[in-house]
Amino acid sequence: MFDITLATWQILVIKVLVILTVVPVGALVGGYAEHKVMAHLQHRLGPMYPGGWHGWATTLADGIKFLLKEDIIPAAADRKVFSFAPAAIMVPIIMIYLVIPIDRNLVIEDLDVGLFYLLAIGSLSTIGLLMAGWSSANKYALIGALRSAAQLIAYELPIVFAAAVVAMLAGSLSLIDIVEAQNFPFAVWPPGIGLVAFLLFTVGAVAEMTRVPFDMPVAESEIITGPFTEYSGMRYIFSHMFAEMGHMVAFGGIAATLFLGGYKPIVPLRILEYIPGVFWFFGKTMFMIFLFLWIRPTFPRVREDQLQKFAWKFLIPVGLVLILATGAWVLYV
Amino acid sequence: MARPGAITPQEALDRVGETLGPWIEEPKLNFGAVDLVCKPENLVRVMRTLRDSEHLGCVFFTFLSGVDRSELGEGGGGLEVLIHVYSPEHAVHVTVHVPVDPAAPECPSISGIYKGALWHERETHEMFGILFPDHPHLTTLYLPEDFEGHPMLRSFKLPTRVVKAWPGAKDPEEAAAGGR
Amino acid sequence: MAMTTGPKPASRGAGAEGRLQTQEMILNVGPQHPATHGVFRLLATIDGEILINAEPVIGYMHRGYEKLVEQRDYRQITNLVSRMDWLSGINNELPLALAVEQLMEIEVPPRAQYLRVILCEMNRILNHLMFFASFGAELGAITPTFYAFREREDIQRVMEATTGGRMHFGFFRPGGLKEDVPRGFVDEALKGVRQVIERLPDYENLLVGNEIFKQRTIDVGVLDREAAYSYGVTGPIARGSGIDMDVRKDEPYLVYDQFEFDVCSAPNGDCFDRFWVLVREVGESARIVEQAIEGLPPGPIMGKVPRVVQAPAGEVYVRTENPLGELGMYLVSDGDRRPYRLKIRTPSYSNVSALSHVLANTYVSDMIAILGSFFFVLGDIDR
Repeated sequence: MFDITLATWQILVIKVLVILTVVPVGALVGGYAEHKVMAHLQHRLGPMYPGGWHGWATTLADGIKFLLKEDIIPAAADRKVFSFAPAAIMVPIIMIYLVIPIDRNLVIEDLDVGLFYLLAIGSLSTIGLLMAGWSSANKYALIGALRSAAQLIAYELPIVFAAAVVAMLAGSLSLIDIVEAQNFPFAVWPPGIGLVAFLLFTVGAVAEMTRVPFDMPVAESEIITGPFTEYSGMRYIFSHMFAEMGHMVAFGGIAATLFLGGYKPIVPLRILEYIPGVFWFFGKTMFMIFLFLWIRPTFPRVREDQLQKFAWKFLIPVGLVLILATGAWVLYV
Repeated sequence: MARPGAITPQEALDRVGETLGPWIEEPKLNFGAVDLVCKPENLVRVMRTLRDSEHLGCVFFTFLSGVDRSELGEGGGGLEVLIHVYSPEHAVHVTVHVPVDPAAPECPSISGIYKGALWHERETHEMFGILFPDHPHLTTLYLPEDFEGHPMLRSFKLPTRVVKAWPGAKDPEEAAAGGR
Repeated sequence: MAMTTGPKPASRGAGAEGRLQTQEMILNVGPQHPATHGVFRLLATIDGEILINAEPVIGYMHRGYEKLVEQRDYRQITNLVSRMDWLSGINNELPLALAVEQLMEIEVPPRAQYLRVILCEMNRILNHLMFFASFGAELGAITPTFYAFREREDIQRVMEATTGGRMHFGFFRPGGLKEDVPRGFVDEALKGVRQVIERLPDYENLLVGNEIFKQRTIDVGVLDREAAYSYGVTGPIARGSGIDMDVRKDEPYLVYDQFEFDVCSAPNGDCFDRFWVLVREVGESARIVEQAIEGLPPGPIMGKVPRVVQAPAGEVYVRTENPLGELGMYLVSDGDRRPYRLKIRTPSYSNVSALSHVLANTYVSDMIAILGSFFFVLGDIDR
């Protein structure tokens, strides 16, 4: 009995360590990718010096710089809430990784209600944004926080609809079952439904991450950085930079799992089966991240009312029709 | 490339004379622009006519400012308000000089006719001390609210030329030395 | 800065109609704010996302040029006025030179006139590309910034080689130019503007063809024709409101009457039209530069100017088409080396005074689009 207890304990430690590493490393790599991808899309080089080779250590240096900076809390701020908000933003993002299967046997906790958990946890960090905005005693922060709350409500629904489609097709909420249920053409199958659900999810994900073109809550030319206006140093990087990148890596992983067949090879060839699933999973995640990064330098930002209209008058009706269509597909095909 | 409705400066001068005759003095041409002098009490009427008259149609407001002519030598005069309007249709420039009383400078506001004058009059007010009694919001535009004096008057010497005690001096010696 | 004014207790909307009781909030946009290009403040009263009214507050950068110039002689003033609108330095120097030349009746040799046109138009391209970049950035599109700066750099280098400055050139003198252009100027300048002409369609497509961009700008911040006249709005902003006023066409100065170019104007007066006009003008300026370089005559670059520049007594109003609108200088001279009074009518000042008229009852996000589309430079407002 003794060694089993020890093994459980060890496993727990390993699991915790893994997710505590995956998020920061993912965020660092994501940040570097953002610098570089954007730079090359805009025909410039991006950071070239830190670390030597193509500035690989840029985000690391940035992170260290931010950690060493003074942590300023405004006099008028609600100190407790203000200090706690970055954690409330960061923790849910880390917790997303708990259920994402990196490989067939490499999942930290295969919950029966994995998808449900994912959707619930994934939107929790908005509470942190509201806390940050409200406690900062800054009007820009307040406007930003309210915008992000409104945006969450509007764009959570398309994501839920898209995920519901996946769940209906797979007949399970466990993420491993969902991956196992997907086969070769992945997102393109069933015809029409899969692709629309994938697009719906991608749009919703970009909005949830508050990235261009749906970055009204942090629109830097209007409301400085929204809820994070008053943050500095470590709290700023955790609540804004890390959270955004962590979110992006998480959503990349979710999209890869739900729509792109997770750890399965992209083409059902026998020879590709020998390549470990980790490779496929991260490859697909990177593809999604690249997609998210690509969107940013391409579009201007939509206005708050247009953003809401787009969600309520377009995405959500599309999602509802999609669910009907999926129901018909599951029943009759 | 002239516009179809464009007229020569001489024609413009004639038209100004015809339409505004009794209310203005000494209309003349100066580098293609019609120069005229107008008393403050006639100003609003003159400006409204300039804007609304079909012959002139000076709908475009260029600027309003002041000139302190007290040091200009012979024929200089005193303080005046300077207004420039332009007619895009007829290509007519009109410069209106409004001499005001230097002791109690006052000039009617034309912001009801040209909205652009709102800021220009505020600027002229703080820079020259000219009062525009019917201006809706005659506060300082550039200068701090507690600024003393009217910097654009000739009597106002530039502080760089006058040694002025530094207001932030704490040391008595420093204050005595002019705070430099 | 946002907390300097407390929330105003005034409430809006009657509860009797079943509407939610909302409080108006005063939001201080600026003096330090990413969208205000400097120290410009907007006192905005907002109700949620709706801007009820906004009052521009200026003067944070007032340097008192109109007073300063009364203490300096004309050569020194050239360098002062160059710093008003720092994005179009060489254009600022022009009306001063013209005013002094008119009073002194100096004839400027054709080569100097052509070079003035070339430099002014290249500066206009620089300025317009800068606003192309910043307007995109304000709407959240970051790529135009880098596109525009790449183009700017080529022209900027030509300007630098010619004048020695990148922003403040100090190159025009009453009577001509400071010196002749360096060797290779013609080729480099031609290369720069041809590149702009070639790449301009890309830039247009990037923003003007974008659906989100159209939604953000069409019918937003409409400035009607009458208001534009009444406020004295000029430049791309006026031309975006259907006013085809352009001093270069209406009263050609220098040798502008010898070139073929169009005055771009658009009828609707919204942000989109203003921006469209701005982008179009880049192409027109490039055309003028091409023609001017082709017709560039040899000869001296300085007219017959006495050793001491003393404008005879008199008054003259000179206006030129600055990139942002009509730049006018009313020079009163008493025959001294220094101007007796120099009234500088800057385009941004008049243009921005129309802001509160346009900003009432818009969205907070539109406020940024409108601010961005009003293409102003703080130094030009405050002088």
